[in-house]
Parts: sequence; structure tokens; C-alpha cells
Amino acid sequence: MSVVLVISIPLLAAFLSILSKKIAPYLLLAVSLGIIGLLSFDVINLQTVTIGGFAAPYGINLILDGYSYVGIYVVNILFFLISVVTYRKYSKMASILLVALAGLNGLLLTGDLFNLFVFIEISGIAAYLITTTNKQTVATFNYLVLGTVGSSLYLFGLIILYAMFGTLNMSDLSTVIAASGANSMEVALPFLLMFIGLGVEAKLLPFNSWVKGILSSSNTLSGPMIASVYATAIGLMFGRLLTTVFVVSDQLMMIISAVVVFSILAGEAMAYASTKLREILLFSSIAQAAIVVLLFALGFEWFGLVLAIVNGFSKLVLFLVVNRIVDETNTDEIDSLRGIFSLNKLVGVAFTATALSVIGLPLFVGFVVKMNVLTSLMLNDYLVFVIVILISSVVEGVYFIKMIVKLWFDSGEVRVIKFDLVTKYIVLVIAIFIVVFGIYFDPLKELLSTYVDFVIGGIL
Amino acid sequence: MANLELILLVVLLSGVLAYLGGKIHRVIGTIITIFVSGFAFVSIAYFGFNDILDTSNGFLPLITFDVTYLGLYFGIIVTFIFFMVSFFNPYFIDKYKYPAVYSMLYLFSLAGVIGVFFTNNFMTLFFFFELVVWSSLFLIPLGKCKHAASWYYGFSAFGSFALLFAILIMSVNNNGSFEIASSLLAVDGGNRILVFILVMVAAFAKLGAFPLHIWLPKVLTNAPDPVTSVFSGGLEKLGAFMAVVGLIKILPSGFVIDVLDMHLSHYFIALLGALSIVFGTLMAIRQDDAKKLLAYSSMSNGGYILVALAIASDTSFSGALYHVLAHALASTAAFLAIGAVKRQTGTSKMSELGGVIHKMPITYLVYLIAIISMAGIPPMGGFISKWLIFQSVINEGLIIIAIATFFGSIGSFLYVFRPLAALFLGQEIPEIKNIIKEAPLVMQIPLITLSLLNIFTGVYPRDILLFINKVAVELGINPLEVSTWYVKGNNGYLNPALISGIFGVGVFVSYIIFIVLKKSKKVTLMDTYTAGNFVYTEELLHYSVDFYAPLERLYEKYIDIMKNFYNSLANKVKEFGNFVKYFFFTNKPEVTVFWIIVVILYLLWGEIV
Repeated sequence: MSVVLVISIPLLAAFLSILSKKIAPYLLLAVSLGIIGLLSFDVINLQTVTIGGFAAPYGINLILDGYSYVGIYVVNILFFLISVVTYRKYSKMASILLVALAGLNGLLLTGDLFNLFVFIEISGIAAYLITTTNKQTVATFNYLVLGTVGSSLYLFGLIILYAMFGTLNMSDLSTVIAASGANSMEVALPFLLMFIGLGVEAKLLPFNSWVKGILSSSNTLSGPMIASVYATAIGLMFGRLLTTVFVVSDQLMMIISAVVVFSILAGEAMAYASTKLREILLFSSIAQAAIVVLLFALGFEWFGLVLAIVNGFSKLVLFLVVNRIVDETNTDEIDSLRGIFSLNKLVGVAFTATALSVIGLPLFVGFVVKMNVLTSLMLNDYLVFVIVILISSVVEGVYFIKMIVKLWFDSGEVRVIKFDLVTKYIVLVIAIFIVVFGIYFDPLKELLSTYVDFVIGGIL
Repeated sequence: MANLELILLVVLLSGVLAYLGGKIHRVIGTIITIFVSGFAFVSIAYFGFNDILDTSNGFLPLITFDVTYLGLYFGIIVTFIFFMVSFFNPYFIDKYKYPAVYSMLYLFSLAGVIGVFFTNNFMTLFFFFELVVWSSLFLIPLGKCKHAASWYYGFSAFGSFALLFAILIMSVNNNGSFEIASSLLAVDGGNRILVFILVMVAAFAKLGAFPLHIWLPKVLTNAPDPVTSVFSGGLEKLGAFMAVVGLIKILPSGFVIDVLDMHLSHYFIALLGALSIVFGTLMAIRQDDAKKLLAYSSMSNGGYILVALAIASDTSFSGALYHVLAHALASTAAFLAIGAVKRQTGTSKMSELGGVIHKMPITYLVYLIAIISMAGIPPMGGFISKWLIFQSVINEGLIIIAIATFFGSIGSFLYVFRPLAALFLGQEIPEIKNIIKEAPLVMQIPLITLSLLNIFTGVYPRDILLFINKVAVELGINPLEVSTWYVKGNNGYLNPALISGIFGVGVFVSYIIFIVLKKSKKVTLMDTYTAGNFVYTEELLHYSVDFYAPLERLYEKYIDIMKNFYNSLANKVKEFGNFVKYFFFTNKPEVTVFWIIVVILYLLWGEIV
């Protein structure tokens, strides 16, 4: 079957779901589960589809290669898990979520730069609407403004490229640029504009002021959706652009490095300076997103992919648990949640395992990934980045450990949080996978390698 | 034959088993810890001594083993400490919030320690290093103070990431291989110095030596009592192990101080070790809490190990390794004895205790023997190691460091006998008179075993020194000349058995005098008067209160300098975070647009230039 279905089914379902408010949430579940089914049973083959039969440089094409296959698979699983948890409470959002799903799948699949812009807008609009559930109108408005600024910059860069080379197809563009013998300095501006435009969505530091407003008041839907699903999808899309399309001149690389290093260090410092659970998580996710972008920019697609996926699942657990706690207690100030896990042990264990994995401690999958990332950075002489990641890891570890110790060991006014069964299962199963793959990484590596035939470096 | 991998797997899986057992009943989990740590110790010690530890690996991918005498020496000591301390676990478990988790993490730390000492791969070593960090980390907050854990993690993480960076540098120079032996050879020149510094940072952080010592007293004071003993006797020794790797194995070829015939780097380490000795001693003198006092004494003993390793002569190396053993035995015994007192009385503050000897004579004896060893008085193990260390310091002509080591030794007389006098001797405090009794029999097993070993290591060091000689030969250091009764130092022979014999005669004579002479009269604490006044606050009469006040006054202004330094460092990070928040995370999108424009302008400006 054609891969277009992955985009068109949710889009169609979105329109259908407007007809009946009652059916909408179930339609959402059915569609997202259906897409996972389509992907798991090899119904959709790896292929490149040209829309409308126009040949590639002229028409729009969708690329389902190993990379995007893994990407949409992971994103759809994350999306489904969140929908299962929230479909009752946020049933009104069902239609919008379906649009978001179509947009996100499109982001990962499209092989055309302008088409990508369209999908950025679609998923962006859906994201703005999802964040309205936070009931923080100003924050959402800021997000809207910044998102629009970002996509305009992206579009601006795109136009310049089109004017220079006359094509918008990704692979075509990269061959044309190579063939034209254009100086990498000449294309630095359009690529910088695109980088900034995408950086807004990818939470890179000077461009991401929307994140605080959105995620520090997030709920069980918007928190995991933005921090996990959107972050993964945009990270992977960014990865494809950085590795296949971008021509990175020295100066652009310098800007990218500076932005990324600043994001990592400042993200961890800000998380360290915060006392609220959601703020800590959101600032630390800025740092992690930056590491993913860094890996792609330096050309380590494989590790970027693995890190993005592991991050996606970790953030899902962390944000689900935290937002559920906030729902019940109306606070995310750590000091007023002291000892909360002593009565919610299972969820606490899952949260702790995930957090330890994020820090990169052994027996958890984060350790394996981190060691591989650092080793390959080191082998390629990126000493500065290794030092930056190591220093930031110390800070990251301290605030996470502080948080975990407070949540487990301190005695405060503790109350039982009613985690619904589905949430419990989801966080526990993900935590178990984090531990299992942390001990025995080979299966995950093989699983990913069958789909992604990038060159594997390091000790993975 | 015993397979190391199987031992490791048994310990790890028993950790899970101990958790499940602990869920059924909290004591079951702790009993599993006794058996498993005993199993680990016995199999490693027995098969290790007979050179038949099997290093093949069939189950765990990527993890390879290697038995070196160095690893074996440390491995046996630390597993033994874990084994001894585990006897205390059942009696302390009911105080913990998560008893089942305690048993699990206890065994996980043990597994990590075994892994560190017996691997031949740096990445595996780091894996286990970090495993020890996080599994022991969550043991700490089971005690009374929660933020000790994050201090510990901060310093540990700093140390282990320094180690990781060193490992990465070595592996790059070694074509991506992490094998320890070849990696150590692969680096040279400036890289070797860098690797040396980084490894020493890890060693200092683990050992709790100045200037990375802040976590040590916090953790040792606030962790549960068995955990304290494990840290002081066992986990700290990871730092000594890393110091051996850094100072002996890496040994950068840097600038040599001609006068002393010593590497500048090593002199610097010895100097820092000397500072650890002095600071640890001075801080220990001020403490009221016996656990905190011993914590600072641990710090100063870590300093001795560093000084001795930095000198790296035959006597000093043997002295260092012997001190690792002697201090592990003595400090574990002392901490366990204090732990036993604390369990029976509920406090370890000296000013709140007194006369415990009447109800806990065995614990008293154990503590007495332990502190004699810590102060380096014959006939205990600590004497042999300090004798060797002092000799080598003087022989090398390191005057400043020699002053520090002697200062530490005399200082330790001042502080280790204070808990003895204040806590065990003296009049019985009325509040505890009727409630306490001697520690249970099972708790006495490790106490007595450790004491016997403290004496044994002081009387008959031959076999241990011969084993250390094997380690020395393996590392390319001249072995020490040891015969059945004699140990040859730089300027003379030592006959520990003779000294002990004379000491024994002295004890016997004084015992006879004690029996023959009139018995002392027992009075209560309040049976006194001061210049005709009635005494209302009896605590002030307790002679451990402000015991060294005149001495303390000399330096009490300076004690918080390092702590303030780290606190303000943490505040700087926070300030940076808040600064970025203030400038970038406003509610105004135009600010972000401004930064975007700045970035674009930078590129455009760069193109013009």
C-alpha cells in the first residue's frame, strides 16, 4: 500500500470526526493504532511515492526509507500512547490531534522543502490548538507568534534557495548545489534562516522562549505531546535536513555549534536554578534537544536517531507522571511534593529509572547511548563538545538526583495520586524497556539497524 | 575454579532476590546480603589466593575480566568489609523507609565494586564505577539527612566524568580500544599529563581528599550506620585504587624536582595529601559527633595513602597498600562500634553519652583496638603502615610533608581518644543507665573478627606484606624485604611480634597493678560540686564539651572556606541559569525576534569581513 495513507487517513478522519463529537475520540484511537498496525505488519513497503504522477523534481514526493520508517513508527507509537491516556479527558481535541498526526507524519515523510513548510504549518497550528488546553492564552499566543516567525524565516530561506537553484526537492537540491560548484559561503544565509526557523520548533536556545510558557503550565495532553511527540518528530526532521540538504560552511557551523553549546549549558543551568518539576524537565529537555541537533549537524545520524528516540520515550514517562501529579495536587513545586513517591511506588520506580537513564547511569539505556555518543565524538576529535556534554552532565545529575531524593525520601504531606491503569502500564512498560535495553542493548541495535543502514561507528 | 562472571552475576541477581525477599519480610533481604557478600568474599579470597580465579566470560557481552594482584588485593579487602558490615544489616533495617531496596542496592554496590577491581576494560570499569555511585547514592538518604546524597553525587559525578574523559582520551590514542593495559601505554607527552590529572581528580573525589572532600563528612555522618562503615572501609578505597592507577601506572614524564628526585606532579599530589591530613585532623578535633569525628579521620587517612603512593618507593608503596588494609579494618570496626552504641542509645553525640563501657564492654574493646590502630600505635596494623610511610617520607627528605604526617599522627591521638573517654568511659549518664545493653551476638561477630584482624595485622604482617610485594612487582616497584619476623625499612628493621610481646607484657603488668590496687569509687555524675555552687546543667560538666577549645579558637574562622566555595559555585550555576531565563525567556516574543536578528546579523557581518 502507498505511504500516502499514513498522511491521508488521519486527515480524512479529522474531517469525519467533526461530524460526530462522540465518535471522534474513538476514531482518533482507531486511526493511530491502525497506522501502527499498517507499519508493523509490513503492509507499507519502503518506497518513494510521487504525488499525482509528476516526476520527482517537479512533483512532490514522499520518501519512506529506513530513517523515516523508524521515525514515523516511533512518533506514531508515542502519539498513540498519549492518546490512550488522554482521549477521554480531552475528547474535544480529537479532531485537532488527528490533524496533528497527519502533519507530523508528513514532516517525517516529505522529500520536498516547500511541502515540508506546509506540514510544519499544519502540525504547528495543531500544536497551538493543543496548547490552548493549558488555559494560558498569553503563552499560547506567544507560541503562535514565534512559531509563525520561525516558519516565515524557514520560508524565506527556502525562497532564496529556490531563486538560486530552481528546485525544492531535497535530494535534487543537494545534487544541484554540488554540481553548481556554489561556494558554501554563498548558501550560508538561506541555510541559516532555515536553521533558525526550525530551531524555533526544535527548542534551540535563543529562539525558544515559547517553551517556558507552554511546558511550565502543561497538562497530561499538551506536556507529553509537545515534549515527546513533537520534539521527536521535529528532531528527526531536522536531522534529515541537516544531513542530506544543508551545506554547512565553517561560519554556519560556528553559529550552529555556538547555539547548541549555549543551549546545552544554559538549559542545564536553568534546570538547576528551577524548583518546579515541570520547569526542570522542560529546561533539561532543551539541553537534550540541543544534543540531538548537534549529533545531526556533525553527521552522526545513527546516534542522533537513537538519542532522539530514547529521549522521546523518556520524556513521555517523565511528563506523563509529572503532569498527572500536578493534576491531582495543583502544584509542581518540589518542596510541596516531598515524599510523594513513597505512596506511589510503581510509578515512582518508573520515573526514577527513566530519570537515571536520562542522566546516563549504567544499567539503563541512557548510559549505552551516552557512552557511544561521547566515544564517537571523541574519536572524531570533537573535544569541545565532549567537555561541554560532560560538564552539563554533572549539573544535570545533581538536579535530577536532588529531585528524586526529595520525591522519595523526604517526608512531607504525602497523598496517594490516582494514576489510572493505562498510565501506570505505559510508564512501567517503557521503564522496563529502558532497563532491559540498558542491560542488553544488542536487540535494539539490530532492530534499528535492519531499517537504518547508516554507517555505524563506535562501540554500539 | 570460580568464575568471576558467575560471582558477579550471583551478586547482581541476588540483589533482585534480596529485594523480593525483603518484600516478604524485611529481615529476609538482609540475611541474603550476609550470605551473598560472604559468598563473594570467600570465593574471591580463596580462589584468588590460589591463583585460580577464572576470567572467561560466557554470559555478559562486552564485559571482560582480568585478575591482577592489585585488583585482587583491593577486591578481597572491600568484599570483606561488605561481608563484615552485612552482619549489621538485620539490626538496622527496621529504621529504613525502604528496607527491601536497601538490601538490593547494598548488593548492587558490591557487584559494582567487584566489577571495578576485576575488569581489564576501561569502559567496563567506568560502567561499574557509575553503578557503585548510583546504587550507593540511594543508600545515603535512608539516614537522617537528605541533601548529603546530592553532595555525594555532585562530587562523584565530577570525579567519574573526569575519569571518563581520561578514558576517552586514552581510547582515542589506542585506536578506539578500551583495554586497560594497552590504553595506559598509548598516551604520552601532554596527553599523559592530562590523563594523569583527570584520573587523580577521580581518585581525590572518591577518596574524599582535599579539595574534593566536602561530601565525605556529610555522607559519613548522615548515612545509616552500616552504610557509613561501607563507605569508609570499602567504597572510599575505590579512590585509593584509582590513585594507584594514576600515580604508579600512568606516571607522567613531567618536570622532575632535582633536589628531591621526585616528579613535580607527584610532589603536588603528596602536598595535597598532606593538606588532607592536616585539614582532616584539625576538623576531627572539633567534632562533637563521634561519627563526624571518624569521618574527618577517614579524610586524613586518605591523605596518608596519597602521600605514600606519591612517593612511590618500595617502603612507601607497601606502606600505602598496608594502610589501605589497616585503615579499612580499623575504620570499619570503629564505625561499627559507634553504630552499635548508636543503635542501643539512639545518639552518637559525645556530649550526650558517657560510661557506655559498663553495659557494652565488648564494643568498648573493639573501639579501643580500632583507634589504637588508627592512631598508629603498636601492636595494631596501623602502626606497621605508618612506620613504613614515615620512614619513606623522611628518607625522601620531604620536610613539609613529614611535618604534616607527624602532625596528623599526633592530632589523631588528640581526637580518637576523645570518643573513647567521653563516650565509653566516665560516669554513666543517668538517661541511658537502665536502657542499654551489649550489642546482640550477631553484631559482635564482625566486631570481634575485625578486632582480631586489627591485632593480627599488627603482630604478624609477613604474609600480607609478601602479597603486597607481588602487587609491587606487578607494578614494577622493588619489593620490600620481609622475613618471618622482620620487616626491613629504610633505616632499620622492625620486629612487630617483639614489639607486640613487650606491649603485651606491659598490659599484663598494668592489669596486675589494677587488680592489686584499691578499687576506684563509683560516683554518679551529679556527685560533685564546683566552688560551692550547685550544678544545674550537667551537660557542661561533661568533660568532652569544649575539650580543645583553645586549640579550636585558632582556626575556627577558616573552617567553612571550602564549603562556601562549593556553595557559591553552585550559586553561580544557578545565577547563570536565572540570567539566561531573564534574558531569553520573557513573555515578549519581540525579545526572541531580537536575538534571531542578532544571529543573522552576525552571519552577514562575517560575510562582509
